[in-house]
Order: sequence, then structure tokens, then C-alpha cells
Amino acid sequence: MTPTEKTSKKLAKVNGEICGICQACATVCPTNAIDVFEHYIVVLPDRCTGCGTCTKVCPVEAITLVKR
Amino acid sequence: MSNDDHILIVGGGPAGSATALAARHEGAEVTIVDRKTHVGIPVQCGEAIGKTGPGIAEIEIPEESIRVPIRGFRVYSPALISVDFAEKEPSGYIIDRRVFDKELLARAAESGSDVLLGAKVIDLTRKNGSVDGVVVRHNGARKTIKAKVVIGADGVNSEIARLTGLRRSFKPADIDSCYGYEMVNCDLEFPDLMEFLLGSELCPRGYIWIFPKGEGRANVGIGIGGGFGTHTAQQYLDHFIKHHEIAKRQLAKAKIVECRVGALPVCGPNEQNVVDGALLVGDAAGHVHPITGGGMGYAIVCGSIAGQVAAKCVSKGDVSADRLQEYETKWRKRYGDEFAQSLKLRDLLIETEDQTLDKLAKIVTGDSVVKMASARKVKIFAKAMATRDRKLITLMKELRKLKMV
Repeated sequence: MTPTEKTSKKLAKVNGEICGICQACATVCPTNAIDVFEHYIVVLPDRCTGCGTCTKVCPVEAITLVKR
Repeated sequence: MSNDDHILIVGGGPAGSATALAARHEGAEVTIVDRKTHVGIPVQCGEAIGKTGPGIAEIEIPEESIRVPIRGFRVYSPALISVDFAEKEPSGYIIDRRVFDKELLARAAESGSDVLLGAKVIDLTRKNGSVDGVVVRHNGARKTIKAKVVIGADGVNSEIARLTGLRRSFKPADIDSCYGYEMVNCDLEFPDLMEFLLGSELCPRGYIWIFPKGEGRANVGIGIGGGFGTHTAQQYLDHFIKHHEIAKRQLAKAKIVECRVGALPVCGPNEQNVVDGALLVGDAAGHVHPITGGGMGYAIVCGSIAGQVAAKCVSKGDVSADRLQEYETKWRKRYGDEFAQSLKLRDLLIETEDQTLDKLAKIVTGDSVVKMASARKVKIFAKAMATRDRKLITLMKELRKLKMV
């Protein structure tokens, strides 16, 4: 377990069925935990602190916080 | 990629292609890499470009990408008082970004640039602290590509900006969260004008746009400030299309044929866009108008400057930040003030209440602002002064500085 995983109880999760890969979430992530590929977006659990900043900018509510 | 003596451009959008064309023109070897396998898709843009605005002198707009000529735009205040900024003759175009981006990349390739698609940058390589290449993942394998200069034209979520340390993550308010549709069967009132709608309830810190695309088609979208408002951009737009008077008039029978999402930096350019061996252009550099969100023109002009400067530095064998700084100086000379003033106006607009915007629109409404005689403009200014509304007067003065009124 990495330090982040120990301290944060929440984790951002992308719903791939809704996500249009605009990358808004990735641009605001303070810990650089969101990796963008051509057809999908990945949240890196060991970097995500569950702060929820990404959820504020998603135009379609494709990224939400879930319990770790 | 025959040798290491080339300029490596990360990103094959308009910024990257314009940079490549300019660098090739100066005789430099150029390679463009892009994370994606098709550029221009998905479209994340309002698709408007000015005819006389930035970018057009540098590049000929690919004819096959032009959808419809545009004479200007109409802004609706929150109470739907309209202000027109329209010329008699077309002053810009609505284009198709799928065709536009691809065509510019094709031109860059035809001019002799190498293109590598599906290559995602994961790291930079450095020699004595100076950037001298990138590490990409391509076809499932790691690959190092050495270069004299690395140019980040990789958009709002620029990996090069992050890896060079030229920009850390944005704050939510620094970006606009955008959502849009391409629609058919639209019944547009002004098929050669772009329409903008303002209003804190309609679209918090942003605007809704309806851009004609010809033959009853339109690009309808919204941009809202990140973290502003109580709903998502999509929810605000859907609500507008269903319930708003302007939408009911024009989009009642319209059908959605494409959904689009996007994010754009509206906080102005980065403080610095140059390090030893690397520089940033386009959205990566923050070259986006803080109010309109327009970026293609700036990307093309600043990209062209970057291409010229980078080529010159490579041929002289000095790619230090000191030498590449010429790019920074040149683009700032051209657009520095424009960005700074627009940012100031944007901040003022955030604090402006809907009623003040309505009041201002009431004063300005009438003939198209761009065609107004100066005597009429003086009259309008006097009228604004006479309101003794401090906020309105400040706003009017800022608009005047930008030569908008």
C-alpha cells in the first residue's frame, strides 16, 4: 500500500460509458493522477487523493468519487 | 527521423502543424508525434475562425474545411437584448475541424515533416539539464526520440508543459468546462451570424453559442467556468435547448447528430513558455482568448513564430532558453496586451450582475457596433456615463480599450 492509499478513503472513478475524453479532469488534478489515452482515461489509485477537484469540471458527470 | 538534428513537435493539431510548416519553410528537419491515431477527432471546438483575425496571414484555410462564411456575431444579454457585431461582408468562417486539422497536418507532412501517430509522450530526456528528446510509447513499446528542440503543441492537458515544469495543474476556475452538439433541422434566424447568450443562471461564467454550419445545421454548445454553477455543462445546455425562448425559436425541430465535450484554458498565457531545448505553443501555452475561448488563430500565429525561431536556433546550434526566448518576446509583442486586457475584462465580467449587462446592452443595441459612426459611439459612451452606474462605466471603459464599442 502506498501512502496515498493509506490516508485517502476515496478514489476518483471514470465512467467510460459517459466520458468523452475532454481531459478537463486531468488538467486540474493536483497530483497528476489521471492519465489520458486516445479512447479512455485512467485514474491512478496510488496517486489519487480523493480530493474531488476533477468532479467539479467534468461537463457530463463522468468522474465521481467512490469508496476505496 | 534520419538524424537527431530535427525539431520534434508533440501534437498534430493546428498549433503543431503551423509550427511544422514554419520550421520547414526555414529548412529545418521536423517530426510531429501525436498521442492519437486521427487528429481533429473528437471535435472539441466551436469551429469559428476569423478571416482577418490572427492566423489567416500565416496559413490559407483549407477550402474543403469551410462550411459557411460568417459576417460577425450577435450577443444576447440575460434579458435577451441583442447587440450586433457584424460586417456587411463575410469576416470569418465556420469550419469543420475534422477536415481542417487533418488537412493542415497533411500539408505539414507534404512539406517534408515526418509524422508519427499513436505515440504517447511519457517522459523527456535531458542532457546537461537541457531537453534533448522525448520518450514515447508507440505500438506497446518504449521508444526514445532525440531532438534539438522539443515543442509542446499538445493541448490543454499538455504533457510537455507538465514535464518541463512550465505549468502545474490548473485550478478549476482556470478552465472552461464545455459541452456541445452538432444539430440538424435547425431554423436559424441569422444563418450568417454566430449567436452568443449570456446570463448567470443560463451559463455561469461563460456563454452559450449557436454557430451556423450551413444547410440548417448548427454547432450549439456551452462553456461554463470550472467549479461555477450547480449543474454540469451538459445539464445547463440541455435545459437551454428545452426551455429557452431563443432555442425554442430556432431549435424546436432540431436533431442531435453529434455530442462533444471539451476543456479550454481561459486564464491567459503561461508566465513562461520556454526552457532550455523546449517551448510550448497553442492551448499548451495558454494561447486562448479568456473571454471568447477562441484559440485557433493564436495557435497558428504563435506556432508560426515558434517554428521560425526554433529553426533559426537549431541552425545556429544554440537552443538555450535565452535564444528560444525570442519566440516569447515576439508573440508577447503581438498579443501580450490583448491577452492582458481581455483577462482584465473577463474578471470584471465575472463580477458584473445580469442587470448591469442588460443596462449596457440597452444602451449599445441598434446598428451593428462595428459599422457604427464614431459620432454614434461618442453618444453611446456619453449615455453610459450618464447612468452614473459605476460598474457599467468601468465595463464600458474596458470595452472601449479593446475597441469593442
